[in-house]
Amino acid sequence: MHSVVRPNAWVALKLPSGSTKVIQIAPNTTISLGKYGSFPSNLIIGRPYHLTFELQDKLPNETFSRLRVVPADELYAEVFAEEAGPGCATPDAAGANDTVISTTDGEEFSLVDDKGNVVARSNREVLDENARQTLTQDEIEELKREGTNAGKDVIAKLLLSHTALDQKTSFSLAKYKLLKTKKYIRRFQVLPIDVENLAHWQLEERDASKIMDMRAEMIGLVGCWGNVHYGGDEVFLPDPKTSSAEGAGACVPVDRDVLKGRWLAVDDTCGLLVAAMAERMGILYEGENTESEVKAEEHKGMATEQAPARSEIPEKPQSNTPATESTQKDGDAEMTDAPTKPVKRESDVKPKQLNPRPSDFATPYSQTNTITVIHATSQPNLSLLNYWGFDITAPNHPPHPLLNHLLTLSWLQLLKPELDTAYSTPPPTATPETLASWKPSRRGNFHRKRRRYARIRHIVDSTRTGNFSGLVCASTMDPISILRHTLPLLAGGAPVAIYSPSVESLAALADCFSVPRRTAWVSGAAPEIEGMSNEELERWPGNERFPLNPTLLQGVSIQTSRARRWQVLPGRTHPLMTERGGADGYVFTAWKAIPAEGKVAAKGKFKRRKVESEAATPAAA
Amino acid sequence: MTATTRNGVSPFLDPGPHTKANSLAILQLSRDNLLPVYLKPLTGEHDGYAEGAVVNTRYGSFPHSTMLNVPWGSQIRASKVDTGSRGRKRKREDGDDAFREATGASEKDNEDLATAVTGDSAAAVKQAVADTSGFIHVLPPTPELWTTSLPHRTQVVYTPDYSYILHRIRARPGSVLIEAGAGSGSFTHAAVRAVYNGYPAEGERKGKVFSFEFHEQRYHKMKQELSDHGLDELVQLTHRDVYNGGFAVDGKSPEADAVFLDLPAPWEALPHLSRRRPASSHVNGSATGNEQTDWVSPLNPNKSVYLCTFSPCIEQVTRTVSAMRRLGWVDIDMVEIANRKLHTSRERVGLNLNFDRGVNNSAHDVEEAITRLAEIEARFREHAAKPRDGDEEMDSADEAAEPAGQNSAATNGGTPAEATSGTAPWMEGRLITRGEPEIKTHTSYLVFAVLPREWTEEDEAAAAVKFPVGKEQKVIGAMDRAARKQERREQLQQQQQGASSRKARRKERDEKMAEVSG
Repeated sequence: MHSVVRPNAWVALKLPSGSTKVIQIAPNTTISLGKYGSFPSNLIIGRPYHLTFELQDKLPNETFSRLRVVPADELYAEVFAEEAGPGCATPDAAGANDTVISTTDGEEFSLVDDKGNVVARSNREVLDENARQTLTQDEIEELKREGTNAGKDVIAKLLLSHTALDQKTSFSLAKYKLLKTKKYIRRFQVLPIDVENLAHWQLEERDASKIMDMRAEMIGLVGCWGNVHYGGDEVFLPDPKTSSAEGAGACVPVDRDVLKGRWLAVDDTCGLLVAAMAERMGILYEGENTESEVKAEEHKGMATEQAPARSEIPEKPQSNTPATESTQKDGDAEMTDAPTKPVKRESDVKPKQLNPRPSDFATPYSQTNTITVIHATSQPNLSLLNYWGFDITAPNHPPHPLLNHLLTLSWLQLLKPELDTAYSTPPPTATPETLASWKPSRRGNFHRKRRRYARIRHIVDSTRTGNFSGLVCASTMDPISILRHTLPLLAGGAPVAIYSPSVESLAALADCFSVPRRTAWVSGAAPEIEGMSNEELERWPGNERFPLNPTLLQGVSIQTSRARRWQVLPGRTHPLMTERGGADGYVFTAWKAIPAEGKVAAKGKFKRRKVESEAATPAAA
Repeated sequence: MTATTRNGVSPFLDPGPHTKANSLAILQLSRDNLLPVYLKPLTGEHDGYAEGAVVNTRYGSFPHSTMLNVPWGSQIRASKVDTGSRGRKRKREDGDDAFREATGASEKDNEDLATAVTGDSAAAVKQAVADTSGFIHVLPPTPELWTTSLPHRTQVVYTPDYSYILHRIRARPGSVLIEAGAGSGSFTHAAVRAVYNGYPAEGERKGKVFSFEFHEQRYHKMKQELSDHGLDELVQLTHRDVYNGGFAVDGKSPEADAVFLDLPAPWEALPHLSRRRPASSHVNGSATGNEQTDWVSPLNPNKSVYLCTFSPCIEQVTRTVSAMRRLGWVDIDMVEIANRKLHTSRERVGLNLNFDRGVNNSAHDVEEAITRLAEIEARFREHAAKPRDGDEEMDSADEAAEPAGQNSAATNGGTPAEATSGTAPWMEGRLITRGEPEIKTHTSYLVFAVLPREWTEEDEAAAAVKFPVGKEQKVIGAMDRAARKQERREQLQQQQQGASSRKARRKERDEKMAEVSG
C-alpha cells in the first residue's frame, strides 16, 4: 500500500503554509491549490508519495503548470548554507552576540538557488529610506502574477526591498524569510491518507471534537494497551446452501471454538478508533497484500495494464474462504490502477462465473481478526472510514477488507435482542416456484431480507458468545455502564483500554476497582452476592455501593501522554513555542481477571522478615 | 524453517484460552509487580520441591501445577509448600562447609527425606494444598507486560515511547522493520506484534523484524528469549556492528518499510540506509572492496521508508538531523514524549472522621472550623468563669468540661459521622487523581523522518505516458475566484439546459396525455 498515488485515491496535500488539503485525486482533473496555483491531477497520479513538487511556470504553448520534483538538497539549501557559514560553526556565538548583520556580508541571508549559487544580493537593488517594505501591494501582486520561478523571485524581491533588513539579527531574518516563503513559494507535498495523517488533519484543521481530541499519542497507547493486532488468518463458516423455503432454523450456528482474535470497540470518534484498530489488524487498506502489490508494480513497469495482472489471480493461496474475497480484491486493485476507469464500474467487471453467489444464510463474516462495534444509535457513525473507501451505509459495496471483518450492532441488539425487530422477525420463506413467479425487484427484496436476517443473527449471537480478545473504547458514554455490559464478554486476561478526553469519568471508573472497595467486596460487604456462582457474579448488575464487580479487572491504571515537538536547526534548537491545547486525553487500562471461586484469603506472609533478609534465597522462610 | 517445525503460535500473538506448559506467563503479584515465568510441566520433583517447580513470592508459594491449564486471567491461591528443608538441602549441595557443620546433626534426616521424595515423585507429584497467605493473577504475555517485567540488559524503550513510535513509523501487519540496537528486547516484542500477519511459508514475504545487536552476550540472551517466545521465525536477529556492517542480511536486502535506530551514533548507521550506495565520505567505517561492489539497499525500493531514531541527548539529535538532511530524508520531526501515570484515591478531610490511614483530621470547610472554634471558646469561657480554688478543683473542672465538650461534638459536629455511617467507607470523601510520586521526565528524543522512494527520469517518463495530461475537465480543491466563477457559469448553463429540456419533455407528455384523453 501507499507505494504510488493511485487514481481516485484520497491524499493529503501539504502546502507551504503548513495547512493540509485532503482530496480525492480523480484522474483528468485540475487540482487547484488556491493562491499557490493549480496543476493537472494526472501529474501526481502514478508518482510516489512524500515527494515535494514545485509548480513550474506555464510553458508558452501550454495552459497548465507542470511539476518539478524538488530534490532534498534544494529543500535544505538554506540549512546547509547556515551550517557551512561562520554563524553555525560556533552556534552559541551567534546567539550570544546577537550580531546585527549588514547587507553586504552576504552569505547569511542571500538567496541560494538549486546549485547553491547566490542568485540575489542585497546591493542589487536600491533601498528606499522611508518605508520598511518598499514594494507596494500592487507591485507584489504584479510579481505574483508574473509568478516566475515558483515564487522564489517574489520572495527574493521582497527580502531585498526590505529596508530594515540590515538591522535584523540572523534570527529575525530567518523568521522573516520563513514567513515570506510560506506565503509565496509554490510547493506542495503529497502524503498518503493513513490513520496518523488523517487524525492529524482532523485534529488540527477540521473539527477536533469530532474525534474526541484524540492525538497520535493516544491512538498509539490505546492500540498497544488494547493489544490490538492481527488476529489470525481469516476463517469462514461453511455455506449452509439453504434453499429459499428454509427459515431461521437453517442459519449456521455460532461455533465458539473458531472465534478468535476478535476485538470489541465502542467508538464515538466517527470511526477513527475503528480505523486505527483496523490498521493495526491489517484490514483497513485494500490490496493489503504487499506481495501482490509489488508484483503488480513490476508488471506495471513493463507491460500494459491488465493482461499480466489477471494471470496472477490463481496463484493466490486460497484459504478456506468461499473464494469470493481474495480473488475480487486483487482484481479490484488492478482495476484501480487502470487510468481512466472510474471506481464505480468495478462491480460490473468482476468475474461472475468465478464465484457463484453464496446462499442467503451464508455468513459473510470472518470468524477471526474482526472488530465488533457496539453503537448507541440505530446506525453506527463511522463516517471517517469513507477516506479508506469503506462506506458502512452502501448496500452493494465494492470489495473491501472491512466488509467481512467489521461487525456492528446496537446496544439494544446486544442486550435485549428480542426487542429488536431485525433480529426477532423471522426471515421470509418461499418455495422456489413462488419465488420464480415474482418480479425481480420483489425477489431481490426477499433475498435481501433473508441475508440481513442471517447477518444480524450471526453478529448478535457471536457477540453474545463473548470470549473477546480485548475491549477498546473512545466513547462519550459513561465507561462504568459500558463495562457493566462488556466485561462478561471478554476472555480471561483480555486487556481493556478506554480513552477519554478528560480524566473525571475514568477516575470514577478506576474508583470502582479501588483497593478499599475490593477489600470490602471480598470480605462480604455486599450481602446480596452470597452464594452466587462466578458466572452469575460476572453478570451481576451492580448496586450503588458496588457499581461493578470490583474483582473483574486487574491492574487498573490511568495514564496520559503528550508529545512535545522541537525545532531542530543549526544553533536554534528548542521546543516549539506553542502547541495544541484543549483536552489532554487519558487512557484507562486493565486486564480482565477471573476470580477464584469462593473466598480468597490474603493475610500475607510478612511475619518472618528478619529471616528473609538474612537468607540469600527468597525461598528461605 | 517451515510451519511444521514450529511449536504453535507465539503466546504473545495468540495465547490461546488457557495457560500451557513450557510457555511464558506473566504473574501479577500486585499492581506494578509483575513476574515473567515459563510454566513447567508436571514431571516430578523440581529443585527440591515435592510439588514440582514453584514460584515463591511475598504472597506465598505458587507451584506451577496450580497455574497450568487454567484460563488466562485466573486468580491463583497460594499453596502450602515446604520451602524450609529444601533450602537447607540445596545449600549443602553447594558445598557450604560452614553450613554443613552447623546443620550436621539433621543432615541424615534430610537426606532420607529427600530420597524419599525423589523416589515417589517420578510416579506422582505431591498435590498442592491451598494456603491462606495470598493470591496472584496469571496473565497472558503482551509486549506491555513484558516491557514492565523483562530482565533489564540496557535502557528499555517503554510503552509510551514505543506505542507512539510504531504508530508514527507505520509499522503495520505485513511491514518489514529494521531495528538496530535490540537491547533488552522490549521494542522488538512490540514491533513483532505490530508487523505480524501470520507465520511465513517457504519464501513468502510476511511482516518481519530484522533486529541487529552489537553486544555479543546480549545477542545470545536475546536469541534464547526469542526462541523461548516462539518468535524466532518472525525476528531475524543478527550479531553485527551496523555502523560498519550495514543492514543487509546474508547479502540480501531486508527490503524494510520502517526503521528504528536505538544507537548511540545513529548518524554512523544512516548512510547504510540509502537508496543508492553511499558515497564513501558518508561511511566512516572500513568497508572492504568486496562489500563495496555488492552493496544492496536495505530499504523497500517501492515505498517511502519511515525512520525513527531514539537518542537521549540533544547533541546526538543535532548530528542525526544534520546527517538525515544530507541523505535526503524529508519530513524530519523531533518530539519527546512525556507520560504520566495517575493514581486515583479518596481524599477524606474532616474533624469527625475516624483515624484511619490517609485521613486528614482537620476541618473540611469553614463552617466546621467555626463550629470547632466556637466550641473551644465556649469551653474556655466556662473554664474561666469557674473560681480558682485549688489543684483539686482544677482537675475536677477538667473532668467536668470534657464530657460537656464531647456532648457538644455529638450534637454539632456529630452529624457528619452519622451521615457517613450511611455511606460505605470506600465511598467517603472526594475522588481525586494525582500523579505518581516519581515521574519519568525524559526518556529520549525521537527523531522521525521519511525517505521517499527513488524517482528517476525513466519512471517519470513512464508515468507521463500512462497518465497523459491535457484532458482536464473539472477543477477540484481550492479554487481561485476566476476558476470558481467559470465553473459556476458552466453549471448554471447546464442546469438551464437541463431545466429547459425537462420543461420540453413535460410539455410533450402533457400534449400526449391530452391526445389520449381527447
